[in-house]
Amino acid sequence: MNKMVVNTPAEKKGSFLSKPGSQKFIVLLVVICLFVFFSIFSPNFRKYTTILSIMDYSYYIVLMAIGVTFPLITGGVDLSIGTGLICYSLAGGYLVVHCGWPTWAGMIVSVLFGVLIGTLNGTLVSIMSLPPFLATLCTCMITRGLGSICSKSFGISWPTSGSEGSWFRDIFKITIGDTKYPLGFVWVLLLVLLMAFVLNHTKIGRYTIAIGSNKEATILSGINVKFYHIMAYVISGLFAGLASIAYSAVFSTVQPGTGAGFELEAIGGAIIGGVSASGGSGSVGGSLLGVFVICLLKTGLPYIGLQANWQQIITGLVLIGAVMVDILKKRKAATV
Amino acid sequence: MGDTILTMNEIDKSFPGVHALDHVNFEVKKGEVHALMGENGAGKSTLMKVLTGIYTKDSGSIVFEGKEVEFHNTREAQDAGIVIVHQELNMLGHLTVAQNIFIGREFKKGIRIDDKKMNEEASKLFQKLHIDIDPTEMMSNLTVGKQQMCEIAKAISHEAKVIIFDEPSAALTETEIEELFKIIRDLRKQQLGIVYISHRMDEIKVITDRVTVMRDGGYVGTLITKECTKDDIINMMVGRVIYEDPKTESAVPKDAPVVLKVEKLNAGRMVQDVSFELRKGEVLGFSGLMGAGRTETARAIFGADPKTGGDIYINGQKVEINSPQDAVKYGIGYLSEDRKRFGIVVQKSVAENSTMAALENFVKGLFIDKKKENKIAQDYVESLATKTPGVDQLVVNLSGGNQQKVVIAKWLIRNCDILIFDEPTRGIDVGAKNEIYKLMNRLAEEGKSIIMISSEMTEILRMSDRIVVMCEGRKTGEIDISEASQEIIMNMATREIG
Amino acid sequence: MEKIKQNPIVKKIGINRIVLCGVLLLMYAVFCMLSDKFVGMQRIMSALNYAYFLGFLSLGVTFVIATGGIDFSIGPVMFCSALISGYCLTSYGVPMALSLVISVLVGTLFGVFNGYFVSYWTVPPFIISMASMNIAKGLASVFTKTQSVSWPQSVDANGWYRSFIKVGNFPVGLVIFLVFAVLCSILLNQTKAGRYILSLGSNKEAVRLSGVNVKKWEMLAYVICGTLVGIAAIFYVAAYTTVQPGYGDQYNNEAIAGCVMGGTSMVGGLASISGTVIGVFIIALLQEGILALGFSKDYQLIITGIIVIVAVYADVATRRRKN
Repeated sequence: MNKMVVNTPAEKKGSFLSKPGSQKFIVLLVVICLFVFFSIFSPNFRKYTTILSIMDYSYYIVLMAIGVTFPLITGGVDLSIGTGLICYSLAGGYLVVHCGWPTWAGMIVSVLFGVLIGTLNGTLVSIMSLPPFLATLCTCMITRGLGSICSKSFGISWPTSGSEGSWFRDIFKITIGDTKYPLGFVWVLLLVLLMAFVLNHTKIGRYTIAIGSNKEATILSGINVKFYHIMAYVISGLFAGLASIAYSAVFSTVQPGTGAGFELEAIGGAIIGGVSASGGSGSVGGSLLGVFVICLLKTGLPYIGLQANWQQIITGLVLIGAVMVDILKKRKAATV
Repeated sequence: MGDTILTMNEIDKSFPGVHALDHVNFEVKKGEVHALMGENGAGKSTLMKVLTGIYTKDSGSIVFEGKEVEFHNTREAQDAGIVIVHQELNMLGHLTVAQNIFIGREFKKGIRIDDKKMNEEASKLFQKLHIDIDPTEMMSNLTVGKQQMCEIAKAISHEAKVIIFDEPSAALTETEIEELFKIIRDLRKQQLGIVYISHRMDEIKVITDRVTVMRDGGYVGTLITKECTKDDIINMMVGRVIYEDPKTESAVPKDAPVVLKVEKLNAGRMVQDVSFELRKGEVLGFSGLMGAGRTETARAIFGADPKTGGDIYINGQKVEINSPQDAVKYGIGYLSEDRKRFGIVVQKSVAENSTMAALENFVKGLFIDKKKENKIAQDYVESLATKTPGVDQLVVNLSGGNQQKVVIAKWLIRNCDILIFDEPTRGIDVGAKNEIYKLMNRLAEEGKSIIMISSEMTEILRMSDRIVVMCEGRKTGEIDISEASQEIIMNMATREIG
Repeated sequence: MEKIKQNPIVKKIGINRIVLCGVLLLMYAVFCMLSDKFVGMQRIMSALNYAYFLGFLSLGVTFVIATGGIDFSIGPVMFCSALISGYCLTSYGVPMALSLVISVLVGTLFGVFNGYFVSYWTVPPFIISMASMNIAKGLASVFTKTQSVSWPQSVDANGWYRSFIKVGNFPVGLVIFLVFAVLCSILLNQTKAGRYILSLGSNKEAVRLSGVNVKKWEMLAYVICGTLVGIAAIFYVAAYTTVQPGYGDQYNNEAIAGCVMGGTSMVGGLASISGTVIGVFIIALLQEGILALGFSKDYQLIITGIIVIVAVYADVATRRRKN
């Protein structure tokens, strides 16, 4: 079935919302508003250390969101990224802490593990035609179990600052003189730019969008849809692997059995940022901004007196709101 | 016109129960525009699908540029130089026009897709074809007509030697059709072979060199456009002998009450200012070619799709129908043309499907009275002669004709007074067809009123008391059975307004 | 051309159930053989404790999956129900009977919430579940001021609710659960609601075109699920006493796994309550057995994940072959 919205008869230019990428500006506006709002209401919020902390806790979510944008654009989803990243971190960390591997080797293992699971997800969805949410729900369970087994049920602490091999933590936060700088933000931004380029200017990205827009038409155009469909999930797995490194670097201990719920923040952020649940549209930059909305809410609400729990409620409501906007837009476009 | 570039010899193709192509011959010369015409089901699409590799033929040969060929998929046909512009758009709405045209064969600068070059090439292509479309525009923002122009441009950009246009002008405006014809004349000058499938007589006369007519899967003949008349073509399209006696006069008295009146119904492009009346005990045939808008009209009346204007009167009273629920409440039943998708509930039994529209009548307190349900299902299985081992048989296991009977039973059990049958005998064998005809006549005699949408001329002439003809969303004719004939109906079905 | 094909679907459910029972018994036998610690009522009772709440979750989600949808919020909503009603009990002095009702009410409200958005706003089910999941966690946390809640022990004055699980050594819980399972089966197979729910899962448009208000019935499936989740909460606290805010996710997968293993199809229209029941027992037994053998729950998670993949793939493959 042609999932494209067809407009009859007059051309439907002009409406700002109908332009692709317009949602990004709205989200950016929301981010700025939220930031200003919290800053006004709480002087503590404006402190540099707060900003640093927001950055720190956002890296792993942003990385997940960058990756999961791809399966979402194909009209699918990857629910294994949350428990997955914990698993990859535990696996790599175990090798570093208990087997004496150098930190860089552990990091590589983490990322490769992510790619492996991503390939598994892709195979389940693309070749075996399992519904994406179910297939990734299962790999979510599997990685949760695997992670715990890899670390023999112990929490793992990657090398802490000051000890040997802890250089990787500096990737994200570097101390020069007396001040700490959120270096991680630079890397994340570079990755965002890189993946935005991949999405918009390379075959992988182009065909990912094509699959999400109209899979049958893409097949008819002679494109190897099975391959590109798998690649979307491989990318998601790869970035879950990268996210695991960010997580290991920011948090002192990684506990098995955690991770469930991370994917909501990443997927929620992507949807707020403009990814359509039905596939075909979305942007990496938008996902980044969407995650910032969620992170700002998470960290900012306590500063105005609301406990972190409210953040969960509000995040849930904001997600519904974002989807409703998407649905309303589509309904409006479909009427004559 | 130059030499022959493509010859299809004695092409034969059968599907289970249907002999779709019966030793068909078709040839195209270089530098000619060759029209391919025929009623719905004549085999035009099937023939082209065999040519472009979507179907494999059972026997016969295809000779292209002097060599015998067999394509296994559209890609192969495309690479060889045979391209088809489909009727249904196969576009990627979330990409731009240029990206759509070059999908699968993007220009690259290393790893980077060169969108700039694609936009330039697309612009050049559009300029050559005198089409005014911005290649950077998002596909979903274009009108249907413009999307079709893009589809055409895409086909042409494949350096084709033979291009097949399948009902290309259906969604185009007057000006766009002019542009299309200019493009086609250009292509003809370049010695391409062009196949033009259409039912629009006036266009055929203007743009084509020869006309080949198919009927019931067989090849009827080829005429030179300049030397033939519209009637010649129509005669070839419908010139069959009808063995079953067509109805000669209406069974309904002239003063029978009007049970359904539809006034200026509007629902998008496919339903424009449609007005008609249905009288009690009448079988009103709805004829027309594919894409005429008959199903869309029926669905709008039934509330299945939203309408943008018009009024519906039942037994003289104006009614508001905004959903199938409303329609059913007012006693209208709709048997949709796509049985599998819209008619039967696949995982449920004959009995369960039968009571789907009237379940309230079979409920005792909270529970379904399965005994009562089974009994009535059994009653209708017998009266409709539905072949099933039992009423608890899953309906998906019955053959097409029997599935149809279950759906009919559903509406009868609901006791609808107005029944809309959309292609009621499609995909059903002759024996079951006759049973359904007998049933429809019986229902009409009992005072029910039936609208029968059908693409089969014999069926229309056999069953209808009156016939309404539609073409491209408008009602183009209405005629009593006593004055109707195949030629007259086909004339109305191919007439255009505006 | 009147050939009527063999009818594998009816056979499938029938054989499926027999196979599942066989698997269940086989598993039990293997576990007993592998470890003497496994034999005996103690283990079975322990497995049953796990099976009760999980069973209600699975029963609930069966209705949702029957419509072709999904609900991941069941675990967190269960905890939310348990926390809110427990907090009312322990901190506001609400009488026990009323607290139990509140638990069911909270679950039902979430069901209404989910069903409304899926049905009337066509929000994809997985998105609304994700949102509800978060809202449930957050709401519970706010309500109990992030404290965990401990329900009364059986010796306490209010401890009578524990008899829902067992009285002495008699597994009352099993009886109650099976009674509810039978009620659900009757609801699904003998009532108008069940007929519409299954039919719309199979072919929503065909049902709509038959004049049925599909929105109403689709939403009802989610409401039923919510109510059963609220009941599941009662069985959870009766077995495990303490609930902590912020958790619950882990049970989602297992509940869905039990359902899918039992023959309920992910594409909708085909559901088996008896299959779900057996599927739940298998998962509970798996959990118990693996623990008894000294392995961690992780292995159970992995095995369950693989089993579901195989079960769904079998469903998808047979469907494709039929087409």
